[in-house]
Amino acid sequence: MNAIRTWMKSRWAIPAASGALIIAALVILQVGTTDIFGNILMVAAAIVAGTHIVITAARALWARVIGIDLLVAVAAIGAVVIGQYWEAAAVTFLFAIGHALETATLNKTRSALAELVAVAPDVAIALRDGEQMEVAASAVILGETVLIKNGAKVPVDGEVIGGAGALDEASITGESMPVEKVTGDRVFAGTVARSGFLQVRATGVGADTTLARIIHRVEDAQDAKAKTQVFMDRFSAWYTPAILVLAVVVGLLTQDIVLALTLLVIGCPGALVISIPVSIVAGIGRAAKDGILIKGGEFLETSAKITAIAVDKTGTLTIGRPKVTDVVVLNPALTRKDVLSWAGRAEAGSDHPLSRAILDAARNESLDVAGLPESTEPVPGKGIVVTTQGHRVLIGNPALLAQYKISDADAATRAATALAEAGRTPMIVVLDDTVAGVIGVADEVRADAAQMVSDLHAAGVKRVIMLTGDAELVANAVAAVTGVDEVRASLLPEDKLDVVTALQAEGYIVAMVGDGVNDAPALATANIGVAMGAAGSAVAVETADIALMGDNLLKLPEAISLARRTVNNMRQNIAIALITVTLLLLGVLMGGVTMSIGMLVHEASVLIVIVNAMRLLRRHGSVSSGPAATNTTMPATRSTDHGLTPANARPDQAASATGGTP
Amino acid sequence: MSTIAPTTTHTSLRAEGFTCPSCVSEIEKQVARVHGVAAVTVKFASARIEIDYDASVVSVDELIAVVAKAGYSARVAAF
Repeated sequence: MNAIRTWMKSRWAIPAASGALIIAALVILQVGTTDIFGNILMVAAAIVAGTHIVITAARALWARVIGIDLLVAVAAIGAVVIGQYWEAAAVTFLFAIGHALETATLNKTRSALAELVAVAPDVAIALRDGEQMEVAASAVILGETVLIKNGAKVPVDGEVIGGAGALDEASITGESMPVEKVTGDRVFAGTVARSGFLQVRATGVGADTTLARIIHRVEDAQDAKAKTQVFMDRFSAWYTPAILVLAVVVGLLTQDIVLALTLLVIGCPGALVISIPVSIVAGIGRAAKDGILIKGGEFLETSAKITAIAVDKTGTLTIGRPKVTDVVVLNPALTRKDVLSWAGRAEAGSDHPLSRAILDAARNESLDVAGLPESTEPVPGKGIVVTTQGHRVLIGNPALLAQYKISDADAATRAATALAEAGRTPMIVVLDDTVAGVIGVADEVRADAAQMVSDLHAAGVKRVIMLTGDAELVANAVAAVTGVDEVRASLLPEDKLDVVTALQAEGYIVAMVGDGVNDAPALATANIGVAMGAAGSAVAVETADIALMGDNLLKLPEAISLARRTVNNMRQNIAIALITVTLLLLGVLMGGVTMSIGMLVHEASVLIVIVNAMRLLRRHGSVSSGPAATNTTMPATRSTDHGLTPANARPDQAASATGGTP
Repeated sequence: MSTIAPTTTHTSLRAEGFTCPSCVSEIEKQVARVHGVAAVTVKFASARIEIDYDASVVSVDELIAVVAKAGYSARVAAF
């Protein structure tokens, strides 16, 4: 009994019942002598399917809205009144079954988002008073310790304070390779533990998690109206009442009620109205599953038109964590370790990425760089002057040496230039007025940077431009390896804005990839602002036009390619809708298209539009085939190495392209 | 003397099966009529309903019932 009741409430019950009655009616009409029983069954079928339509139309009318249901209701009732029972039954049946099919398929196009919502965790295991307690995920208190066991879903955003494990972050970053997490690493709600055991301190709960922000952003993006859609909405708002009026006028003029009723049916704008939203929902949903968040239909449309991309070097084309690659000793009285330790002691108080590189290198070689310098004086554009352990140390470029009148600067300058040509940032170290040596620091070029640039070209981007504040020699070296079209070096942050504006003046549609903080003005001016590694930044998730959740460079060309496919899909849908209406109109005017045929074709067109949009949900033949195996750091091993040695695979420095620790 | 303004609670409902964009205005008008509702916005593509209402006058369950009468099942969104 329950099964029957459930089935009766399903969306297929009414079309099925109506369909059954129609079949029965047709049989009787064939077999019987009089038409009356057959006609009664036809009317019954029309009533079964049509009641809901009439009710919906009435409710809408009461809310002063003229919808498609009203058109169909009037057509069906009119058909019954003039004795066209078969037409009435067919029209209501087709509309009902079409509606059921539409709901089923539309839910599929929303599946990507629904899956994201389903990923949201329900429960968490919190450590309270030493006891493990299972609580609702939203009831976790900020700062509380949460335990994540093997196979469990991470319930909150947090920081690892103990244990180790590997998490599958696909729901956030779109990348399926599990990421190792150790103490200090960040974890996200909605990811799944594939191995290990983690103790996490909660930093974001419920609506304050990255997952919640992604979901909200995808929903807002799907709601945001593309320009074409705003036009379409206004069009359909007057279109539907206009059809009603047109049908009345035609009916009065030609005295042909059947023609008027048929016009009502074929005038239904169902396919047109759904054509754009359904593509946008599918396109944005698919992108979100791949860890690409696009802000809305309008940004999709603009992204599809991108012809130039400005990319910040540090952190995007390079990993952003400079490392010491060379220590050139120029003072014969010192050893390599001496030069490095003095440099380390001098940089101990500084937080600059280059300083950290030197400190890390010194610590790796177990050199003593403990303590802070007595005084540190930065000289803008040139370097720093430091007093440490009673000695004065200078670290900087040849201009700094000139300022402090250091003799025998020529050898140092030559060594620095040689390093720069090899793509390193050179730092000359001077100990007590004598040149000690030159340290070369390099920021590793990402393994898939070259692939990304060529994929971008393949996706239709004409110019890829690298922007950097670094010196030209270093920039050119990176450019040669990655294959960018143009280099702009030695830029101050405000210069980047000028580059973007200049490109736009030349007629390019410009996308800018940056890190948000320093590049904010340029990102805002560009047609599309792209943030990478956005999973760690709430601001990036909420404001970037395109936010790439993970660290995978290849997602950028994938995003552009997806935008183009979505826009093409939208255009296909609009074409399908318009062609269908035109053909039907011609068919009616030339005769031969009845109400039932009109409704059949109309419903078919709506379904075709939805199914066409569903194509966007499929995983496209990949542009991103995974990171290239070759690491493109330029290894210079000795101070006599002046040229650019070809890239070798160095497994110990293999760049991990999967999203990981910030 | 200060007048105490009615406290407005905001809630988001996630609904199922918005298939025709004209349903949007219908739901909006039905919910807006409910006593105690200050504002309502229906988002078609994401199937969400955002309602600002006075919790002392009308409850979430009543709002969900009004949406159900318009023909759509809705649930309070967890976030």
